Amino acid sequence: MAYTKYSLTPANNTATPPDGAPEGMLPSAVNDTMRDMMAQIRDCGDGIRDGTYTMTAPKITGGTITGVTYTSIVITGGSITGITDLAVADGGTGASTAANARTNLSAAASGANSDITSLTGLTTPLSQAQGGTGTTTGYYGFKNRIINGAMVIDQRNAGASVTPASGSYTLDRWQTVQTVASKFSVQQNAGSVTPPAGFKNYLGITSLSAYTVGSSELFNFLQNIEGYNIADLGWGTANAKTVTLSFQVYSSLTGTFGGAFNNGGSRSYPFTYSIPVANTWTSISITVVGDTSGTWGSTNSNGIQIWFSLGCGSSQSGTAGAWSGSNFVSATGATSVVGTNGATFYITGVQLEVGSTATSFDYRPYGTELNLCKRYFENWGAGHALPLPQNYGTTTDRMPGIQWEVQKRGTPSITFSSSTLNFLGQQTGGGSITVTAISSAAPTIWGDDYWQISHSTVTSGLNRYVVDTGQYVWISAEL
Amino acid sequence: MYKLIKNDDVIKMVLRIESNTFIPFALDNTDYQNFKKEVLAGAELQDVDGNVMTDVAEYVRTLP
Repeated sequence: MAYTKYSLTPANNTATPPDGAPEGMLPSAVNDTMRDMMAQIRDCGDGIRDGTYTMTAPKITGGTITGVTYTSIVITGGSITGITDLAVADGGTGASTAANARTNLSAAASGANSDITSLTGLTTPLSQAQGGTGTTTGYYGFKNRIINGAMVIDQRNAGASVTPASGSYTLDRWQTVQTVASKFSVQQNAGSVTPPAGFKNYLGITSLSAYTVGSSELFNFLQNIEGYNIADLGWGTANAKTVTLSFQVYSSLTGTFGGAFNNGGSRSYPFTYSIPVANTWTSISITVVGDTSGTWGSTNSNGIQIWFSLGCGSSQSGTAGAWSGSNFVSATGATSVVGTNGATFYITGVQLEVGSTATSFDYRPYGTELNLCKRYFENWGAGHALPLPQNYGTTTDRMPGIQWEVQKRGTPSITFSSSTLNFLGQQTGGGSITVTAISSAAPTIWGDDYWQISHSTVTSGLNRYVVDTGQYVWISAEL
Repeated sequence: MYKLIKNDDVIKMVLRIESNTFIPFALDNTDYQNFKKEVLAGAELQDVDGNVMTDVAEYVRTLP
């Protein structure tokens, strides 16, 4: 590349001939200089043609170039065709078809495709709308640890309003606890408002007076979750899992309401939630980091209690959003429902699930939900068949081999609607008999050894024995 | 108000008279736990013959 010995400034090309043309050069040197210039022009042309020159900043605006080496090219228009596929290492795809390019780049096609055969490393879970679970904690049966969270089952009262005694159950699995009686009533679908979308029922509470709650008093309803159903949460250990409680709530009152997670006396986590608009269903979600302390039941005893406050005194209430070694059942400053006569508080869709996200409600089949409830309580109502007594001809008898419909959580209590329970006994020869006394003998989780009964005289044997209209037998193994 | 119930010559349950509920002497029964708390707090307990018991605390200590 000897042409570079020439300067781009003509006046500077004054080197000794033939490399330059200085002023006053000898005439005999002119032809030498011209011949040298001819040789340089030829050399430059051959270099471009043969690609032996490296062009440092070429600008190509058209035409065809082959066999030239460039170190930097600016292309301002036109197109490139007929070239060898650029390798992946050179920033290309190494392919001349889209399919081969995706293969070489390990890339999946966009839109509908069958390229994606597995997904790993997702940092955000697929939402339920995307066909995922919306959670990183796994999706499995019994997502919702609350039983009867949709308030569908009401074995005891069948939709009737009750003013519950403290400690008694209303809708299945939902217990009330209060220090003063008769301050609120409970009824499935009380007030007959339209349930939130996706639900048919709710638990409705109505305040029966304007009661000022004392500092040590409490008015609550709660669900006791059996230890077996929360054992996997690992509460009370370093591996305690985060859970999310969600529900839909509707009240004639607005403000901040309270509740608490509780292990039954020595550990609690008060929480608050807001109802901003009266008489409007509001979705609530409360995420709680699992408790690494305390003792939490993991068998058939109490596991976690979820308390909802209808009015609690200061000594029953704690700071919201923190675990405490005290037995709190609400959060400090929460609204008192029982403080306003006629105030209503409705709730449904209660769900407790693993993870920090509230997902859609786990709406289980009715039969499944009913049988889950029956582990804790069965109502044998009118028409429920019973075993025939052993000795038809006497007035004192035993009704043997009583079996529960569902195995119980623990040894149950047996309640007969009356000590003179009027079972409907039908004699083979016609006519009914009357039970004048009945008692349980030795209940177990499976059934009862026998029921001792006294009855009117049977003259022709029995062919049928059922619970009569208006009567019931309750088998309760509630927590 | 509670009354002890004897079956097959053994007392192994109590009747809560108000609700006509038969409560077994079983530690996993919530009603049984409440029965002990209530009679120790002063609720009436009758023996199998219907007599009001006066030494309730002593009796409860013999229960499971």
